Amino acid sequence: MSTCRESELDALLAGELAPEDAARVRAHAEGCAACKHALAWQRLERGWMAQRARREPARPALSFAALEARLAHEPQAPVRHARREGQWRHWGKMAMAAAAAVAFVGLSLPRGGTGVGGTTEEPWSRELIVATGVEACEDAAAALEARVGACLIASPMVALRGD
Amino acid sequence: MALLSAVKMVLVGAPPSDTDGERGLLRRARTGDPAAFRTIFERHSPGVWRFLRDLLRDESAADEATQETFVRAHSRLSALRDEDRVGSWLLGIARHVYLESRRTRGVHVDVADEEHAHQVEAVLPTPSPEDLLLDQELAGLLTEALGMLHAERRAALLLRIDHGLAYEEIASVMGWSLPKVKNEIHRARLRLREQLAAHVGGGRP
Repeated sequence: MSTCRESELDALLAGELAPEDAARVRAHAEGCAACKHALAWQRLERGWMAQRARREPARPALSFAALEARLAHEPQAPVRHARREGQWRHWGKMAMAAAAAVAFVGLSLPRGGTGVGGTTEEPWSRELIVATGVEACEDAAAALEARVGACLIASPMVALRGD
Repeated sequence: MALLSAVKMVLVGAPPSDTDGERGLLRRARTGDPAAFRTIFERHSPGVWRFLRDLLRDESAADEATQETFVRAHSRLSALRDEDRVGSWLLGIARHVYLESRRTRGVHVDVADEEHAHQVEAVLPTPSPEDLLLDQELAGLLTEALGMLHAERRAALLLRIDHGLAYEEIASVMGWSLPKVKNEIHRARLRLREQLAAHVGGGRP
C-alpha cells in the first residue's frame, strides 16, 4: 500500500483481500499511525453494528403469513417455465400465421381449371380486355354490323350499339 | 449410511432447511415453491427491514416498505441474474421502495452533512477494546448519528458495515461508480466518527 486507503483496511477486516495483499496491508497498518487509528475505528463500527443487529427485536409485521396474505391479492407471479411457455405460444402464433398465409395463397389460385391436368389460365378481366385493344375490334365489328345490318357481337360488358 | 440417506432423499425429497444454498432456494422459488420463498423471506427480511428503518427512520413505514420489497421480489424472481447475490438484490429493491416512499411522503430534507472531514480525523480519539461494548445509550446515539448522515451516503455506509456488501455490489445497488462508492463511504465514516467521538476512548460521560 503506497498510500493509506481506508477501503483497503476495510477489505482487510472483511476478509476480502488475497493472503499476500492482506499481509501487505496489515504490515503497513502496523507502522502507520493513521491507518492503525482508522483500523481501530473500523473494528469499533463493525462491532457496534453487529451488536445492534443482534438486538433488533422481532417485528410482527415481518411474518410470512402477512406477506402471503398480500401476495394472494397480487397478480400471479411468473414462474420459471413461463418463458418456455411464452416461447411455445410464440411458435403457435407463427404456425397459425403460416397456415393463414398458405390458405390465402391457395384461395387466390384460379379455380377455373378442370379436367385432367386442369388449366392455370386466368379468365380475362374487363381491364385486360380494354387494355389489349378489344375496343378497336369492336369498331371493326360495328362497321361490319352496319354493313350487314345485323348484330354480330353481344357482350355483357359492352352495351349493344345502334340504339 | 450416506447411501441410505441419499436413497431417503430421493424417495422423500429434500425438505427446505436453513442449510439450503441461496442458489438452490432461488431456483425452487422460481418454480413456485412457497417453502423456498418463505426461507428466503425469513433469512433476509430482518436485514431488509433494518436497512429500510435506517433509511426511513420510521419503524411502521419500514414494516410496510419491507412487505412491498418482498412483494416486488416475488414477482421478479426470474429477473435476478446473479443467483449468488440474493441479499444485495433484495437491498437494491428495498432502496427503490425507499426512494418511492420518500417521494410519496414528500420527505426531501436531509440533515446537513457538512464536509469538514479532513479536520475531524486529527482530533478523533483512538478507540479502546472497552469501547466495543454497545450499551443501550450508545446504541441510541449510534442510530442518531447515522440519521445525521445524508440519506444516500447513509445507505452506502450501511450496505457496507451493516449488511456486508462488497464495494462492487454497493456500486450496483446505488448506481454509482466504484470510486464514488469508496469516497462516499469514507466521508460517511468520518462524519459518523465525529458524532460519536465524545463517547469513545475514555471520553464517555
